[in-house]
Amino acid sequence: MTDEKSSGWELRTARDFNIPFAASLRSHKREPGLLSVMGHALWLGCVRAYLKTAHRLQVTGGAHLPADAPFVIVGNHTSHLDVLSLTASLTHRLAHRATALAAGDVFFRTTRSAMFAAAALNALPIWREDTSLADPAFLRSRLMEDRMVFILFPEGTRARDGVMKRFRPGLGAFVAGTDIPVVPCFLTGAHACWPPQRRLPRPGPLHLAIGPPLRFDAVGNDPHGWKEVARQTEAAVRALGPATTAPGGSPSAPPA
Amino acid sequence: MFQIASWHDAFASPVTTMLVIAVAAVLAAALCVVAAVSVIGRVSSALRHELWLRLGSWVLLLPVMIVPVLIGRAWTIAVVTLLGILCLREFSRATGLFRQPVVVAMVVAGLLAVNFAALDHWYGFFVAIPPLTICLISVVSIPQDHPDSYIERTGLGVFAFMLFGSGLAHLGYMANDLNYRPIVLMLLLCVALNDVLAFTVGKLIGGRKLLPLTSPGKTISGAVGALILIAPLVAFIAHHIFIGTLMDRWWLLLFLGALVSVAAQAGDLMLSSIKRDLGIKDMGTILPGHGGILDRYNSLLLVAPATFHLIAYFGGFGLDQPVRLITGP
Repeated sequence: MTDEKSSGWELRTARDFNIPFAASLRSHKREPGLLSVMGHALWLGCVRAYLKTAHRLQVTGGAHLPADAPFVIVGNHTSHLDVLSLTASLTHRLAHRATALAAGDVFFRTTRSAMFAAAALNALPIWREDTSLADPAFLRSRLMEDRMVFILFPEGTRARDGVMKRFRPGLGAFVAGTDIPVVPCFLTGAHACWPPQRRLPRPGPLHLAIGPPLRFDAVGNDPHGWKEVARQTEAAVRALGPATTAPGGSPSAPPA
Repeated sequence: MFQIASWHDAFASPVTTMLVIAVAAVLAAALCVVAAVSVIGRVSSALRHELWLRLGSWVLLLPVMIVPVLIGRAWTIAVVTLLGILCLREFSRATGLFRQPVVVAMVVAGLLAVNFAALDHWYGFFVAIPPLTICLISVVSIPQDHPDSYIERTGLGVFAFMLFGSGLAHLGYMANDLNYRPIVLMLLLCVALNDVLAFTVGKLIGGRKLLPLTSPGKTISGAVGALILIAPLVAFIAHHIFIGTLMDRWWLLLFLGALVSVAAQAGDLMLSSIKRDLGIKDMGTILPGHGGILDRYNSLLLVAPATFHLIAYFGGFGLDQPVRLITGP
């Protein structure tokens, strides 16, 4: 007699199967193929080298990162260096599962920028002006079923003055009522190196602090629960930063 | 030095000229018929739209198929390589194999290697690549330490390589023969015509379905009708190509014709089985009126290796030509 055992494999067609190329770039159903994986690996190698040489990126608390997906990384947002630093802090295996949820009106406006965001950043668009209610539910199911790593900046946009803003509750829609870990992070120095007002970054030190993961399985998946997720996560992120990151504090300065 | 090196020899064989003229004539006739039907307006607008879409696709597809063959050996092999990659992409997206990038990467490496062997005109390497690639596909995902689904991902990888790598590459390898143009054109055109005839005869005669669960639209009459019409046509054309060689025997030429028709229909049914298993209608949307690249070229997948080895057994390909053009001393 043989033990019955499920292999876990299913012939599952790509979620973006038969979606035209240009549309698939902006679709939440997009799944990376071999070319995208290679493009992302190449980009990640360049980013790691750049962050090491130009910014001497230091990461503390890396042991807090879960060994396996799915999980969500959240951080403060003052610069485009944020997403690069957070992705670079992951192992190769997890980095290829990582997807940044990026502003659609910035990264996916033109086909060329959408190709870069899709192939290099492996980003999915968030349309800040036109977010349909179905999107968070679909992304939540993708996060779990496809065992992804979401990189999120719940402030919604880069802080123009470098001061961390209040977290929006949208983050809660992905994790409330699940045991998916939420890993809080705080990046210091990014605003000084590449504030929103500058076209290109300048060299300077960066320090990424990673905190212990939070879980929200006891929180209801409803607007009240989402606000609670945002509140707890914001507090955990602030606790990782310098004392001046309380609301109304001064911009995060580079580490001494 | 290679005797077939440039487009100057494109019409060296009268059979090539005959085939190209025939294609141009058929396209012109189809254009007239569709235009007449559209003007008279005795068909629905949906059907008219479908007819124009299909005709438009053929107007684009036929030159894409024929011109590289006419231009030369390297172009033929390059287009076969590209066709294999496009088919692999559609297959891997449809089956989910793309979620195993290391397996897909190994399939691509094998596909490029086997087509390189064809370009190099190195038969020893050409026949060594398939077993070596299968070995590599079998081990490449083991270091991931993820034994769940090992059989499935390895099986799909081997299946994909054998069809789109090793199988299709036989068509490219034929280009090493001095007389490759009429052979390759005959296969490309007769396989396409076989599809059209199976569809047309099936619609005209009707009758019992061939395999209703696999492909509800196909009938026994269509399959047999295509076989009866294509086998003598291929035999007729092949007689003029292989005149005076060991292949030039009526029963062998008829067998070649039957092989083209049966292998083409088997390839078609194979893809239908894949699509039914996956629950999808088409493998893509890139070709209006056809679907994906695989939907158009599925019939060629089995024809290429089957006819290659039959013709090679009785005559070989490029035996009088220099070998190892790139890797040789």
